[in-house]
Amino acid sequence: METQPAKNISSYIIQSQEDEIKRIALELHEGVGQTLYSLYTGMQFIQTAVDQPEMKGYIGDMAQMIEKTIQEIRLLAVELHPPALGTLGLLPALKSYLKLYTSTYGILVELQNEGMEVQISERESITLFRVCQEALANIARYADTMNAVISLHWKPGQLSISIKDKGKGFDVDAAMKKSSGLAAMIERMFLISGKCVISSKIGEGTSIDITLPVY
Amino acid sequence: MEYKGCSPGESKHIAQACEKVLTELECDFVGLALQNTDGSDVRWHYSAGNINEKYKRITVRYGKGIAGKVISTGRPMYVENFPENIAGKALEYPIMLAESLKNAYAVPIHFKGIPKGVLLIGNRSDQPINKNEQITAGNAARTLEQKLNN
Repeated sequence: METQPAKNISSYIIQSQEDEIKRIALELHEGVGQTLYSLYTGMQFIQTAVDQPEMKGYIGDMAQMIEKTIQEIRLLAVELHPPALGTLGLLPALKSYLKLYTSTYGILVELQNEGMEVQISERESITLFRVCQEALANIARYADTMNAVISLHWKPGQLSISIKDKGKGFDVDAAMKKSSGLAAMIERMFLISGKCVISSKIGEGTSIDITLPVY
Repeated sequence: MEYKGCSPGESKHIAQACEKVLTELECDFVGLALQNTDGSDVRWHYSAGNINEKYKRITVRYGKGIAGKVISTGRPMYVENFPENIAGKALEYPIMLAESLKNAYAVPIHFKGIPKGVLLIGNRSDQPINKNEQITAGNAARTLEQKLNN
């Protein structure tokens, strides 16, 4: 029997990494987060039971600190693996990520969606999400631009996504030799039977076009 | 937190103070970040020498980014030759990316003894921020502290 070890190994590594990220996110949210919440309610209970004003204030501060930590844990878990991907789908997860992206890097991203959204597997949506994330991260790092556009086009049998910016642009061939991020985007899409085409012109901008067959 | 925002007149004074630091230090960028009054997020409010308006939209969480780290630790932070030899990933330094900075020095600004703001000076060139410039930035932060506390 003929085997394809390279493809299988890449696929296995990427899938294992995603599973691990998801596990850590879930553990943080459902495990550590819930335990901290129990501590927080306990602190609040103690605060009402204590009479000494100084001690009451001290316990109040501690409860506030726990509340902040719970918030941090929740945000960290969402950043690691957006729960919207599994429950609401790719588009809501992207919308939510773009809000965070704009408030982190100051880059405005216009999201366009055409056609009827088709249900795709979780593996496919996480791959598409990660490729979009990588493309946006590259814009934040290298493009030197204030704006970007993501367009999703749902056609019968195919989903096309393009991420465009009018930033600095780069030499694709040279960058492919240096950057493993660009190669990883192509590899990720290949593993779900999709395609990723990267085109860029110095001084004009970059376009990442990804396509995925959908049924 | 004690910072309740500024009147347009006071805002102008703070913006002028940032401009003054920029001229005095002959650096490329000066920014002032403050922790929000509601919640613990940190936002860039004022800048001088900026090459775009991205800083106005950037908000970092307490403990994240240069501003969040300086506020959470209450200690100055020096980033040299970005993005080489930095702690963590380049994406964890949004203001450095937004303003294409190579070297930056950030000092905390205190309100009633608690760090609630950050003054950052930065260079886009390879020129590092020397000890004297770091001291001047520290003094400028103390002056801004007084303006903001009044």
